[in-house]
Amino acid sequence: MLRAIYDWVDERLDITPIWRDVADHEVPEHVNPAHHFSAFIYCFGGLTFFVVVIQILSGMFLALYYVPDIVNAHASVNYLQNELAMGAIVRGMHHWGASVAIVMLFLHTLRVFFTGSYKHPREFNWVIGILIFAVMVGLGFTGYLLPWDNKAYFATKVGVEIAAAVPWIGPYIAAFLQGGDIVGAVTLERFFALHVFFLPALLFILLAVHFILIRRQGISGPL
Amino acid sequence: MSKKVSRRKFLTYMLGGTAGFLGAGLLFPMVRFAVDPVLKKGGKVEFVDVNLPVSEITETPRAVEFKIFRKDGWYQSEDGETMTAWVMKDPRQELGIVAFSPICKHLGCTVDWESNPQFKNEFFCPCHFGRYTKDGINVPGTPPTAPLDKYELQVKDGRLLIGPIAQA
Amino acid sequence: MAHNPEGNQKQVHYVGDSRVRADRPKRYAPDYSEFPGKTEAFIPDFLLKEWMVAVVFLVGFMTLVFSEMPPLGEKADPTNTSFLPVPDWYFLFVYQLLKYKWASGPYVLIGIVVLPGIAAAALLLAPWLDSGKERRPHKRPATIGIMLTTLVMIVALTWQAEAEHQEQLISSPVRKPKSTEIVDPNSKAYQLYKESACIKCHGEKLEGLNGPHLLGIGTKQGMSKEEMIRIMDEGRGAMPAGMFQGSDADKELLAEWLMKQKQK
Repeated sequence: MLRAIYDWVDERLDITPIWRDVADHEVPEHVNPAHHFSAFIYCFGGLTFFVVVIQILSGMFLALYYVPDIVNAHASVNYLQNELAMGAIVRGMHHWGASVAIVMLFLHTLRVFFTGSYKHPREFNWVIGILIFAVMVGLGFTGYLLPWDNKAYFATKVGVEIAAAVPWIGPYIAAFLQGGDIVGAVTLERFFALHVFFLPALLFILLAVHFILIRRQGISGPL
Repeated sequence: MSKKVSRRKFLTYMLGGTAGFLGAGLLFPMVRFAVDPVLKKGGKVEFVDVNLPVSEITETPRAVEFKIFRKDGWYQSEDGETMTAWVMKDPRQELGIVAFSPICKHLGCTVDWESNPQFKNEFFCPCHFGRYTKDGINVPGTPPTAPLDKYELQVKDGRLLIGPIAQA
Repeated sequence: MAHNPEGNQKQVHYVGDSRVRADRPKRYAPDYSEFPGKTEAFIPDFLLKEWMVAVVFLVGFMTLVFSEMPPLGEKADPTNTSFLPVPDWYFLFVYQLLKYKWASGPYVLIGIVVLPGIAAAALLLAPWLDSGKERRPHKRPATIGIMLTTLVMIVALTWQAEAEHQEQLISSPVRKPKSTEIVDPNSKAYQLYKESACIKCHGEKLEGLNGPHLLGIGTKQGMSKEEMIRIMDEGRGAMPAGMFQGSDADKELLAEWLMKQKQK
């Protein structure tokens, strides 16, 4: 039955080569932790992606209950965490996952750096990776404000003030981030929109390019 | 069957099993979190004094407004929500009184007593011309498929208290 | 079909109707056959190993999630003047950098544009700055040296920022209480409080005598039940260690009760 559906689609769209390319490509021994335990450092990239998947899923589920509004945001987070089954777990996954994502991304970047894997012909993918890092830090910064507790509020204030200290354009950056003169209702809505729409969209594009380039160029050889 | 094929099958099962574990481990808390409102029992609805002495209730349905306070997630309105009930005498009921919910059983519009001059002595819903008799029974051939809901009632010190919708 | 004015019989073929030549040399990912060792197919062999790693990772991650509640503080109050702001941990090093005289005030350009700018540019342009063929770390000491130095500095700055923040939390002045009312005065814990040495310094009504008052202590930033017990055990400032001599259960009860002393 499944086979018949697959064949029907494949006959028309020729999808076999697409996944066959991914499925059948040979993975060299030097990145395989089953052969050399030290090769686990090559797992950091995949694990970073795994955490990103956790973040996307838990974020989607949190959005079932969260409201980005200064009156209700804190109450809704308190409600979803304390009054719903598994609320503390789902929020915990997103909260701790954010830090773990930064750590894994950091380790992955260091692995690529110390093994010199960014060298010719993979220069471009390194640049994409650094941009992914920037987007992830942006996601961390915008997400930190959303629970609207004192810690979030004052941390964001500090962040915006740091941005405002940049000469000439600083005040404009700060006004753009705040959406006004203070960190308040508009800021929360903006950070929410950046956190769940703009930055994830950017992240998906960058991740797609990152993965396509890895398939095109292959993993760098052993040292 | 050659040895190679069975190895491949084994690996595929392992792969499927591991994927299942990863997926279940990730999704179980999230799905439980998402369906929690389905599994939760509704909050207890208190009986509200609607400021109406039982002696004032007549045979003619009368719209009674009352306020209920219920928690909507993290939100609770300070003023409460205004609800309406059609209250009248009905000797067949336990307390001799009946209170109908004004929510039409067709698509949830609000019914009114004798609001259409064509249909005397009936509840009428303006949305799709749904009709109910004075007993709250839906008139056959009109859109509603069930009688109007009744509220649970109590009488205390000669005053009427309205509670939740009675379960059939 | 290309027009051949010179009468060249060699025909040029294109892919579909685009202008991509059919005989264009293709780029293939290396097949690693030039490297010694065993390669294996991505699916199912290698992916299974990756997923085993993912299982270990997930178990560890969920253990962390189940053991630590995600923190949620009091609702944001912009008028709260005593709250010590601190950014999320991965921004701490920038936060700390801006505290130094040579990177703030008139030199803020250094702290906010020059240093981060150089770091970001160097990171982005690393493949061209370090363009040699050599990949092994010990064969490119300059690159690795700069990176290690930067890492050490980032760790040191983060460490310093966290240490200073903790110090500030401890020494932050105790706010004047808005109300002198004790929360839940009928608790057994209040009896324990009055019967122990606490009362001599912190006062019978938590108003503070030689020691600081404890009214609204539950609202104090960085305070928790665990921290409270730690202070009772280890002391703090002028307060000696081991001041509470009751049982562990009583100590816990007292700490819980003190955390209930919340004020806006």
